[in-house]
Amino acid sequence: MSPVAKASTDEELVARSRTGDLDSFNQLVLRWERPIYALAYRTIGREEEARDVCQETFLRAYRALGGFKGEAKFSSWIYRITLNLCRDWIRRERRQPIAQAPEGVDLLELASESTPSESIEDLVARKEISAAVARVMADLPEEQRTAILLKEYHGLTFQEIADLQDCPLSTVKTRLYQGLSVLRRQLERSGVAKPGFASPAVRKSHV
Amino acid sequence: MCEQDVLIGYLYDDLADADRVAFEAHLRGCAACHEELKALRSVRVDLRAWTAPETDLDFRVVRGPSQTGHVLRVPVPTWRAWYTPAAGLAAAAVLVLAAASAVAHVELHRGPDGLTVRTGWSAVTAPPAETVSAARPVSAGGPATVDLSRRTPAASDVRLASSSAVDAAFLKELERRLSALESSSRDSGMRNASTLSARAADAEIIRRVRELVSESEGRQKGELAFRIAQVLRDVDAQRVADLSRIQQGLGRIDATVTAEAASHRDLTNYILTSARQK
Repeated sequence: MSPVAKASTDEELVARSRTGDLDSFNQLVLRWERPIYALAYRTIGREEEARDVCQETFLRAYRALGGFKGEAKFSSWIYRITLNLCRDWIRRERRQPIAQAPEGVDLLELASESTPSESIEDLVARKEISAAVARVMADLPEEQRTAILLKEYHGLTFQEIADLQDCPLSTVKTRLYQGLSVLRRQLERSGVAKPGFASPAVRKSHV
Repeated sequence: MCEQDVLIGYLYDDLADADRVAFEAHLRGCAACHEELKALRSVRVDLRAWTAPETDLDFRVVRGPSQTGHVLRVPVPTWRAWYTPAAGLAAAAVLVLAAASAVAHVELHRGPDGLTVRTGWSAVTAPPAETVSAARPVSAGGPATVDLSRRTPAASDVRLASSSAVDAAFLKELERRLSALESSSRDSGMRNASTLSARAADAEIIRRVRELVSESEGRQKGELAFRIAQVLRDVDAQRVADLSRIQQGLGRIDATVTAEAASHRDLTNYILTSARQK
């Protein structure tokens, strides 16, 4: 996410936070709580626990701010805290992340989410795809899932992911490739992946 | 670089120019790679459908009082009603804070978005104080504890019932604390006549807090009613939309049926006419 124009950079806010400026830290919280929550949610698949992880992330970040020397980006640093907390949670619960796939489709909820350009049918299709993706992602090995999450939803570079996962660059690419390949097979099997379902968000092929 | 790496690099548009040109040349001749790239792009499109649920987060770190046992994370909607125009309230809050830390660990924190009340009585959600004070990064100021207060979504219709139950318990407990506070201030006043004016101020503050509590309760009821009305309105709007859709559908069917009937009639007429001619 990009900070609002003329807002302080993360680095400036971190520097001020380190002198005890709580408002600056809370600006960082405001800026990053949503991505952090999204990462936690997609990792452990539960809303309430994701909130807890999100909250705990910032609490830990605040306490550990003295030890953060800016050797990494602030975002990478808190992503790491979040991922560690998620891993702890999954280990503690001794279970795979559970995708909260909706059982039925709530029309009211759908209606409130629909954009003017999207028909109810499209919306239902999107929900189905979303639920299928959540299911398949939950079954992926943790490293592959994390790599995909960081790349797809947080736009990290391969190098940033490699740093976060403490692995070589090529390993990140392998994880992405293997994870995406599993996703492809499973989604095709579940019948929701529609070949030719194009989106303007994806760069058109040059070939 | 092996082919997978290149494919992934190309998929995420992160290849050196030379590599990209080479891979594009390769793609033109390699149906398998072309097919795979297409499939992986389709997966990326599907991934985009998976959104995290909308939720009110609004976490923020607040500095707690020193040496209090617990700091409670307060869901702010409960206290959103504490927005108050009273200018003297900040000063009052400080007084309450002083009185409370001695008695009940009740703390009023006036932030940019209203007042936060924190007490020492909830052991369930409260983090132990020692973990908080262990690694204090604050260089300035006195001893500080840290706490994240969290706002639960006010708009969550399903959660409203349970959250209002919690609120009721919270309010009751607060009421009890206030009584304790009141009686203790009375006791101390009896012991020492010089605190008489302080006692009067305390009583005034307590009265204010009581007022605010009941005000908050009232507003919450209002909010609940408002939410219910909102949901009803949504349901109604949806129903109207559905009905009009059904109506449109029926209209279409009607038109089709009429057209078919007309063509049948034409056909029958034609048959009758030709039969007569024969």
